[in-house]
Amino acid sequence: MSEHRHPHPTRRAIVQAAVATPAALAFPSLLRAQAAPVRIGYTMARTGPWTTGAQVSQEPNYLLWAEQQNAAGGLNVKGSKRTIELISSDDRSDIETCVRTYEKLMGSDKVDLVLPPWGSNANFAVAPLANRFGYPFLAPTALSRRLVEMKLPYFFLLLQQPKPMMDALVAMLKENGAKSVAVIYVDDLFGLENYAALKVALAGSGMSIVEDKSYPLGVKDLSPVLRSMKDKNPDAFIGLTYPPDTILASRQSKEIGFNPKYFYASVGTAFQLYRNVMKEGAEGVLGMGSWNSKTSPSAKAYFDAHVKKFGAAKEPDRWASGATWAGLEILTAAVAKAGLDRKAIRDYVAGTEHNTIIGKIKFSGSENVGTPGTVAQWQKGEFEVVWPKANATATLVAKPNWV
Amino acid sequence: MSLGSWLELIASGLITGGVYALVALGLNLQYGLMRILNIAHGEFLMVGAFITYTAHVTLGINPLLMVPISFLLLMGLGLVVHRLVFRRLTRTSPTLDIFEARGLMVSFGLMFLVQNFAQTLWGGDLRGYDFMADPVAIGGAQFSANKILLLVLALTISAALIVVLNKTLYGKGVRALMQSPTGAQLMGIDTERLHPLMFGVGLGLSGVAGCLLSMTYTISPSMGEPYTVTALIVITLGGFGSMAGALAGGLALGVIEAIGMHFTNPSLKSLLSYGIFIGVLLWRPNGLFVRK
Repeated sequence: MSEHRHPHPTRRAIVQAAVATPAALAFPSLLRAQAAPVRIGYTMARTGPWTTGAQVSQEPNYLLWAEQQNAAGGLNVKGSKRTIELISSDDRSDIETCVRTYEKLMGSDKVDLVLPPWGSNANFAVAPLANRFGYPFLAPTALSRRLVEMKLPYFFLLLQQPKPMMDALVAMLKENGAKSVAVIYVDDLFGLENYAALKVALAGSGMSIVEDKSYPLGVKDLSPVLRSMKDKNPDAFIGLTYPPDTILASRQSKEIGFNPKYFYASVGTAFQLYRNVMKEGAEGVLGMGSWNSKTSPSAKAYFDAHVKKFGAAKEPDRWASGATWAGLEILTAAVAKAGLDRKAIRDYVAGTEHNTIIGKIKFSGSENVGTPGTVAQWQKGEFEVVWPKANATATLVAKPNWV
Repeated sequence: MSLGSWLELIASGLITGGVYALVALGLNLQYGLMRILNIAHGEFLMVGAFITYTAHVTLGINPLLMVPISFLLLMGLGLVVHRLVFRRLTRTSPTLDIFEARGLMVSFGLMFLVQNFAQTLWGGDLRGYDFMADPVAIGGAQFSANKILLLVLALTISAALIVVLNKTLYGKGVRALMQSPTGAQLMGIDTERLHPLMFGVGLGLSGVAGCLLSMTYTISPSMGEPYTVTALIVITLGGFGSMAGALAGGLALGVIEAIGMHFTNPSLKSLLSYGIFIGVLLWRPNGLFVRK
């Protein structure tokens, strides 16, 4: 697939030389004039198990961003406006396809910039590659300590990592007097890392874990576990879950009447789908969310534009969508400042404090240390940030019975 | 553990098992009767789920009404698929073994086709709706109304199918075909008609299972595959071609999984199911419920 590999394709001269090669002749767009489009490549799950997350939190934002920029005359590349050309394909939720496609995009197609794929696993595989080719990579949907520990200079993580998220949750529970928790976690990188961070956060907090169980991706029934948790009557339930299991755990808890004072589930609580499926039952449910349209005027503008483009049935989610948009805001600013010199973009991203719709973002290594860990709660149809108080859009309310 | 908890646990296993049974019965009809190991079987369950979802959300049709409708629609689809694919395959395959191998390959292709078709039509989003989700208390245990409905319907439909196969002339023909295809043909049983019909009924059952599942779980185009695998385990448990075996096997697997998950860990569920699968293949290859 990638017959031509140039490890350092940063200079225009190399690009122009590549035009002479027969393979590149197949891409006449490489013969660019000054106003040629900015070619931005990515792969995205449009089929397969990652689709749910990718098509809610990530790809709609890429499309909206390109459309907005182009409507305004194009992306500001150090003062000159150039239209954005998105070069994208379906990665079929397959890591191998991701890696190969990015290798092609960066190695032989030599696109100007790349945008990240969806999910921790795909980013884990593609990030080192992007780093080798020297493409800045602002990943909105990757959550893993190990990605930070790889210390890749071109790689930036926008979402809050397990430690701040779990610290925030535990701090909130502690302040509200919770004494015992029951935990379920998905047995992959996401679940395991969050579970580890949760255990560390709980140690010395005065709260005890009365039961903890892992479950596999694609689980169909959690009621046997939830029933035994119900018998132990914990103050808080913490589900380190993915969207289908978030809904499964919520529905089944409602079915069996397991209604702890604090009911927390992870990915997917911030989705509009959660409200659609749980209806009034969503009230009081806690989860991973860090913004909504009340967070800032620019967040509201983004929310409205998203709903306008994709319809009221496809709102952005209240967690990763915001991070995706923030990443695109940062990239836009970086290109305006540094042009398409990828090293300069990288330096700009790493060395600047960015103003985004979800607040100030700054990076220490790969990690976003500007956004604190947050907890959000469904209240009357909106997913409100309730912790920490500085970021809160509403105050925590007691969870009513499931309805 | 209290009696109520046990009751809840076993009942939740039976509910899961009811769906397993329904899917397995359909697959068993196809495999037991025609040796079509339809890997795409679960995909038609997904189609049934999406049809119900769409009918309910956009047209406001009651999902219960969609039970017979999805059966008929999927049965129709089954007749078409059989006509386009498997009828031709039957004619061009020199032996039954070659037919089986080719059928397996073709159904793999069907799986991708149907999955991607659904993806194009409905998109990859996770979907779901709220229907009869209110909890009902029965003797100290508590279940959602839609789960109870699911169990009752799954059992009724399975039982009806078994009765039809055992009591009617058509059923007799089908059973005869399962026992000895050549013998049955010699006795004047019309395979040209029975095969597509039973293939259709198989898919219809899958559609019903999907319809019922859409009431209780979230649905997505990739939801079908795990059910195909489970159905294979179930018909191995129950014995290829044995309908009562598939019903009992489905329910048993559901209960075993529920109890296993309660006492160990949901992460070990696959280990449990596949362990049983391998065990049965090793020690009772004809199925747990087949007397030979």
